[in-house]
Amino acid sequence: MKTFALLLLCWLAPLAAAETPGAAGQAYARGDYAAAVELWGAEIRSDGVTAARLAALGNAEWRLGRKGRAMVCWERALLIDPRDPVARAGIRHGLDAGGVERPKPTAAEEYAAFLTADLWLLLAVAAFWTTVLCVAVPRLRGRPASEANQWTRVGALTVLALCVPGLWGGRSLDARAVIRRAEVSLRLTPTQFGEPLRGVAEGDVVRTERPLNGHVRVRTADGKTGWVRAGEIEAVRGPGLPADLDQKTAP
Amino acid sequence: MRRLLAVCAGLVLGLLARAEDRVSWEITPRVTAPGQPFRLQIMVESDVVLGGAQFISREIKPPRGMALRLSGQIIRPDSNEATFNFSGVAPEQLGEHVIPSFNLRFARKAVTVPEIRLRVSDQVAYRREAQARAELVLPDRVFYVGELIRGAIRMRGGEDEAVVASYGLESLAEGFSMAVTAERQALPDELGQGLQTTFDLTPIREGVGEFSLNGIMLVQNGEAGVFNQGGRDRPFAFRRRLTVAHVPERGRPPEWNGAIGRFVAEGLQVSKDRPEVGEPIRLRAILTGDGNLDRILPPDVRGDETWDVLPATERRRHAEDQRMFVYTLVPRLPGKLRTPAVRLAAFDPATKTFSRLEFAPLELTVTGNAPAQVDLVTADPAAPAAAQPKAVTGLATPEPNRSSPFFRGSPAGSLGDAQGFWSANAAALGLVVAATTVTGVLGYLAAHPEIRRRRRARAVMRAALAEAEACRRRGDARGLAAAVVRGLQTGVAARLDAEDQAMTQSDVERVLPGADRARLDGLFQRAHADRFASAPPPADAGEADAGLALLRRLLATR
Repeated sequence: MKTFALLLLCWLAPLAAAETPGAAGQAYARGDYAAAVELWGAEIRSDGVTAARLAALGNAEWRLGRKGRAMVCWERALLIDPRDPVARAGIRHGLDAGGVERPKPTAAEEYAAFLTADLWLLLAVAAFWTTVLCVAVPRLRGRPASEANQWTRVGALTVLALCVPGLWGGRSLDARAVIRRAEVSLRLTPTQFGEPLRGVAEGDVVRTERPLNGHVRVRTADGKTGWVRAGEIEAVRGPGLPADLDQKTAP
Repeated sequence: MRRLLAVCAGLVLGLLARAEDRVSWEITPRVTAPGQPFRLQIMVESDVVLGGAQFISREIKPPRGMALRLSGQIIRPDSNEATFNFSGVAPEQLGEHVIPSFNLRFARKAVTVPEIRLRVSDQVAYRREAQARAELVLPDRVFYVGELIRGAIRMRGGEDEAVVASYGLESLAEGFSMAVTAERQALPDELGQGLQTTFDLTPIREGVGEFSLNGIMLVQNGEAGVFNQGGRDRPFAFRRRLTVAHVPERGRPPEWNGAIGRFVAEGLQVSKDRPEVGEPIRLRAILTGDGNLDRILPPDVRGDETWDVLPATERRRHAEDQRMFVYTLVPRLPGKLRTPAVRLAAFDPATKTFSRLEFAPLELTVTGNAPAQVDLVTADPAAPAAAQPKAVTGLATPEPNRSSPFFRGSPAGSLGDAQGFWSANAAALGLVVAATTVTGVLGYLAAHPEIRRRRRARAVMRAALAEAEACRRRGDARGLAAAVVRGLQTGVAARLDAEDQAMTQSDVERVLPGADRARLDGLFQRAHADRFASAPPPADAGEADAGLALLRRLLATR
């Protein structure tokens, strides 16, 4: 009984430790969002990126009024964990109350959000190799395929077919970016003095198309297309922390 | 002696005297009607070679109301003469108009042009409708700071001239911001042929300001067409003194927020007719009309016990002459609720009065239950408002330590972008395909042994053929027969799936129908002569050829 109690304690100890908020969480709780951003940023740099950390960082950035950085954090958190509740709530809040716009997900994207892009790819590759081996192994052995082999083949092909829309949706989800500047104009042409068609707000998510002449063609949530400067947006697929756009590049 | 000195003094004075620059000008016609186009020609003759002219247009300052533009110059590099042509349009005011003295700057020297005078008289017969002309369309009244003034330049063609293009529009507006909204648009049909450039003018400070517009239109005589390239420039210039005042404070409603013009409250729209308690919806108030839509501050909409009002980003629509004010409303109670009132006031610059606008509220049905902590139920009206900061709705509590075993990784790049992922898979697939193919080929050969047997038989036949030809060359009839028979027996045995030594002339006939039996018998007897007691029959001349042909035929048979 004593041994069992010790084992239970050992199992519960990490869970209890996990519930204790860190310094960043405490700073966030007392409203010191700038400190929370600093601490969570340092934590991500030292301990690695997780969806929960990115989502928490997004919350703190949003509280500081940095819509663009917050949306980048939340979108990246959803790339790692499509069901992260904090990131999903943050994006919903931004859309409903924060004036942010985001393209409505297509059916393939909704489907792809069930798993991450890497998991879809791994699943598809595993199904493909299972099918290939089910076909190749009986031939190599010179024996007819067994019934189990046939069923495995059908199952693997079904999984592979189910992965196709997930892969397609994941690819489509990757081709998005967040507007990072406050005053961004959608331009008619990819030139410095291209005619501004309309404005897009910081934090808006746009679909990206082809790049040209230092500009990227984008499509907004309401379907309008135009060109924005490459430095005015940040791709959803990228390194963990949002880019610091004010930092000068090294000569 | 005195006469000689006088002559010498005259010569010296002649040498020392400096030749003066001669400048002359001519205006055609000399007297013009108001608004009539004219041409000005200035001729310069100097004592030195002049060189190129510079900054001609900057130096000349035409009088108020007169348009003048350099239309051509003739200066030869090795000449001391220069001619300048200007095209202009006379002012509307009668009397004598003076172009002040100005300098013509050349590469070598500057030449001063004296005052130039133009007389404008109403005694001159001039039909204004015959020639192209420009008109400035701008209201003639007091303007107000922040007002949107729509103006236009109408370049109207005449009976003898057509306006085909315009360019070089320059404006100088002290205390105004100006934006060209459309250039070179065709005039409405009722105004005749011509072009129109429209602009928006916004006064930005109080006082009297000078507004000037200059430009050039390209006019063509007669009918326009590919063979009529005789277009010429005609300048236009407008100068107006505009008076700007602030919107009067007297009678100004408290909800006035910069609207100047005539507006209509089109109505309200909501993103959802039946929201739940706590569910944010968007409220759009659409304002249309003629005025400074872009400069109106959004009306303040306050939350109350039934609605929370949050700021929202509004989207402006410039093309449709309308403005949309967007608010995010959060219902706090269930039931039938009316949206908060959206009110604003506008100042009409034409009538100089204020008017109030109110968007008719919408009635919505809010579903769900009232939350337990609704403030209005428990709040004491006398208590200080907003003692506790209200939490921002929607954001979930961060859980940075939460982790999931399935969802790990980096958002930097997907597995598909990893170096070697696709090449490794492709290499493995290639190996599997190669192994399967090899296994399949070997299995097929094992299942069909006749393929290997026939291949071996063909090799033996080719060797027998070579040996038979060698025997023929050295005249060995028996060796030739033995080689041919060995080849035939091997080839036929492979066809019939039998042993080589057991093959007879009849078997050869089965495989090679039409073979000469007598020659076959002779070949076999000579080849197997050592097995028989009787001597083999002598070989005839054609037997060797027939035997070799038979062997070649069998070799060619598939």
